[in-house]
Amino acid sequence: MNNTTKAADRTADAFGPDVQETSSQHPAMRLLLTNEFGLIALILVFAVLFTLLNPGFVSKFSLFAMGRTAAVNIMIGFSMMVVIITGGLNLSVGSIGVCAAMAAGWLMQSLGLPWYLSLVGGLGVGGALGALNGIVIVRSGLHSFIITLASMSIFFGVMIFLTHAGSFREIAPEVVAPGRMKFFGVISPLLLITFVVAGLLSVLFRFTATGRQMLAVGASPQAAELSGIRVQRMTVWCHALSGVLAGVAGLMLVSRTGAAIPSMAGQLGQDWLLPAFLGPVLGGTLLTGGRASVLGTLLGAFLVTMLTTGLLLLQIAAFWVQTYLGLLLLVAVLMDLLRRSYLARKKLV
Amino acid sequence: MSDVVFQTKGLCKRFPGVMALDDVAMDLKKGSIHALLGENGAGKSTLIKIVTGIHKPDGGTLFLDGAPLVLHGPRDAIAKGIGVVHQERNLIPRFSISENMFLEKLDSHPLKRIDYQELHRQARHWLEMLGLDADPAIPVEKLSVARMQLVEIAKALALKSHVLLLDEPTASLTPHETDNLFAVLNRLRDDGVSMIFVSHKLEEVQEICDRVTVLRDGKNACESQPMEGLGRQDIVKLMIGRSEQIPNWQARDRTGNPPVLELKNITTAIGHRAVDLSVHKGEIVGLYGLVGAGRTELAKSILGKYLVTAGEVLVDQHIAAISNVADAVGRYKIGYVSEDRKTEGLVLMHSVLENVGMTVWQRLAKGVAFLTNRAIRTQTLPFINKLEVKAPSLDQLVGNLSGGNQQKVSVAKWLAAGVKILIVDEPSVGIDIKTKTYLHELIRELSDEGTAILLITSDMPEMITLADRIVVMNDYRVMGELANCREYSAMSQGIMNLIHEAVEVDMSPVQATP
Repeated sequence: MNNTTKAADRTADAFGPDVQETSSQHPAMRLLLTNEFGLIALILVFAVLFTLLNPGFVSKFSLFAMGRTAAVNIMIGFSMMVVIITGGLNLSVGSIGVCAAMAAGWLMQSLGLPWYLSLVGGLGVGGALGALNGIVIVRSGLHSFIITLASMSIFFGVMIFLTHAGSFREIAPEVVAPGRMKFFGVISPLLLITFVVAGLLSVLFRFTATGRQMLAVGASPQAAELSGIRVQRMTVWCHALSGVLAGVAGLMLVSRTGAAIPSMAGQLGQDWLLPAFLGPVLGGTLLTGGRASVLGTLLGAFLVTMLTTGLLLLQIAAFWVQTYLGLLLLVAVLMDLLRRSYLARKKLV
Repeated sequence: MSDVVFQTKGLCKRFPGVMALDDVAMDLKKGSIHALLGENGAGKSTLIKIVTGIHKPDGGTLFLDGAPLVLHGPRDAIAKGIGVVHQERNLIPRFSISENMFLEKLDSHPLKRIDYQELHRQARHWLEMLGLDADPAIPVEKLSVARMQLVEIAKALALKSHVLLLDEPTASLTPHETDNLFAVLNRLRDDGVSMIFVSHKLEEVQEICDRVTVLRDGKNACESQPMEGLGRQDIVKLMIGRSEQIPNWQARDRTGNPPVLELKNITTAIGHRAVDLSVHKGEIVGLYGLVGAGRTELAKSILGKYLVTAGEVLVDQHIAAISNVADAVGRYKIGYVSEDRKTEGLVLMHSVLENVGMTVWQRLAKGVAFLTNRAIRTQTLPFINKLEVKAPSLDQLVGNLSGGNQQKVSVAKWLAAGVKILIVDEPSVGIDIKTKTYLHELIRELSDEGTAILLITSDMPEMITLADRIVVMNDYRVMGELANCREYSAMSQGIMNLIHEAVEVDMSPVQATP
C-alpha cells in the first residue's frame, strides 16, 4: 500500500501547477478500460456464441424470459450492493425479500387491502427489517456478517411461524399482470421497473447528499464522522434501503409466479445469495466499501442471467451451470485485478 | 577507505514519467549516523527502497564492505545485514516481543517446536542492550509507541544488521522518548553500527548525525558531507534550493476580541478534569503538551465525539449542546484538521472534489434538491486553488497525492465549509518545508480574517511561529497559559517549566486528600 502511495507522490508533484477543472486524460482509453465496458464486451461475446450454438437463444420467448429473470436478479444485486458500499454485507436479503412478499400476500388475501396498499405494506416490511438489521449492527458494533446471518434465520423462522408455512395465492390481478405482460413481445414490465430503480439509485449516489455521504461512510467511517457526517444514521439508511430493494425483488417474484410462497427463495432465502453477490462483484463494487457501480451491477447480474439461460438452453446439466458461474466470478475478479493494476501503473485513476 | 561500510554509486531509477533517482551517490562510514534528507518527492523513499531490496536500480551499484552488492528482494537485504526500521510500525500487535523479533527465524524446521525459553533469552539480550526493560513474552500491542520503536530496532539488530536504516524514527515520539532513542543510537554508533537516519526534523538531524546526504529532485544536492559546520539554514538551502523564510510576524494580542469558543471547567468521559480554555475571534491558541497529554482527545471532546460530562462549552458566548460531530460541524461551525489525515482526515479512495466537498454536500443539497458536481465545484474550487493543491485533476484520488497536497485538501475542506472555529492538529506532520511554510501563512491569514484557531502541535518552533497564546496541557489537565513573546528560548523554557511543575507535583509525596 505504502509503496504505491510513495511512488505516486512524485508523479503527483510532477504534474502541472494548478488543478484543471476536469480530467482530460485519454477519455477513450478510460472508457475502454472501465469495468462496465468489459462486461458489455463479455455480454456481446456470449450472446453471439449462444446464438451460433442455438438460434433459439434469440427467440422472442427466450429473450422475454431472460429479461424477466434478469429483472429480479438485478434487483437482488442492488439490494446487496447498497449494503456492500458501507463495507458490510447483508446475508438476509433473501429472507427479507420473502418476508416482504409474504406480508404483501397476507395484506391482500387475509386483510383484503387494495393491491397498491399491500405492495406498499410489503415494501414497508422489507424496509423495516432492513432498518432493524442496521440498527442492531450500529448499536452492537458487531460486523454485519454476524448480525445478518442471525437475522436471516430469525426473520425466516418468524415468517414461517406466522404463516404456518402456507402460501398466499389470491394475488390481485393488477399485481400478477406485469409478470405476464410483454411489450413488443419481448420486454417484461418487470425489467422496466428494474431500469427505473437503477435510474433512481444512480441519482441517489451521484446527485444527492445522502448518497454521497453513504459512500463516504463506506470508504472511511472515521473521516466521514469527523467531517460531520452521521455515520450510524447512514449505515441504518443503507440497510433499510437494502430491505426495500429486497422487497421489490420479492414482489417481482410474486408477480411472476402469481403467489407468495415461503419457499420461493429456497430455505432461509439462500437461493438469492449467489446472484446477490455476483451482480455487484462482477460490476466492480468494492467489497471493502466506498464505491458503487449501479450500471456495473446491472450488467453483471444480466451477464449471469444470460449465461444461466444460455447454458440451460444448450442442455448443459445444472451442476455444470453452477460450476461455470463460479468460474465466471473468478475470471471476472482476476480480470478486474489486472485492469486495476494496469490503470494504477499508467496513472489513469 | 576501509572504514566505508556501505556505498552507492551512480544510482538511477526511472518510474513512468519520472526520473526518481539520477546518479545518486552516498557512502556510509563504520560507526556513524548518516542523515538522508530531502523534501517529499526528492527521491528519499526510492533510495530507501533500493537499499532495502524492494526496488532494483536501473543503473549504478551498491557496495557492501567494498564488494558490489546485488539484492534480490527485502529478505536478501536483511540476510546481508541491512536492517530497516520503517516509519510505519511493522510489528504484529498480538504477537509477543520475541516472536516479532525473530519472526524471520522462528522456523529452523517447520515441524520443530519453537523453544520459547531460548527465544525469550535471546530477545532479552538485545532488549537489555537497548535499555528496554520489558518482558519479551508480552504482546507488543501492550507497549507504548516509543517502546515498539525500540523493539523494531532490537529486531533489526538481532538479525545481525550492521547497516541500519531508520526511516523517520521519531515521528511519533515525545521529546523525552526521542532523547532516550538518541542515547541508544549513540551507544550503537560507538559499538560500530552504521546508521542511515531519515527525518524531517532538522533539529534532530543536527543533533545526532555526523554526516549528511541531501537529495533534491532525484539528484545529490550534497553527498556525504560532514555535518560539522553546516547550519540549519545551509541544510534547508540544500533541500529546497533557497533559504527558509522565517516569518517575521509581530506578536499579537487578540484577547480583546469576543470569545468564540470557551470551555468552562470541563470534565470528559475520557478523563479530562477542570479544563478551562478560551479562543477569541481571530486568535490562534496553541495547545502544547507531550504525547498523551490529552490534547487530541480534548479536541474530539469539543467536537462531540467523546462525552463532556460536566462543565460548559460555549460557542459565541452561548451554551452549545454538542452531542455528536455532525452538530459541531453543522450547527456550530467547528472544523477539525486531523493529525491522522490518512484515516481520519481524508477518504483516500475518493477524489479531491469529493473530499473537499464532503463538508458542503448537506448545505448545498438543501438549496437545490439535486447535488451536481458543478455546484460542488463552484463551491470548493476557490479554496482548492487558494491552497494551491497540486493534482492533475479534481477527479484524482486523494490517495495518489503527495503528503503535502493531501494536507492541503484536508484544510481546504474546512475552508469550503466556512467554519468559525478551526482545530488544527499537528498540521505539518510528514510535510516538506515549502508546504509547511505555506500552511503557516495560511493559518495566520485565516486568523486575520477572523477564524478562531486552536492549534495542537508538538513542534515547538511551529508553536512559537503561529500561536498568540500557548496553553500547556499535561495528563488531561491544563497546567497554565503563556502569551507568546515569539522569543524561542524564553518560550520553550516557560513551556517546559509548566510541564515540569506538573511532573514535580506528581512526584511529590501523596497528600492526604480532603
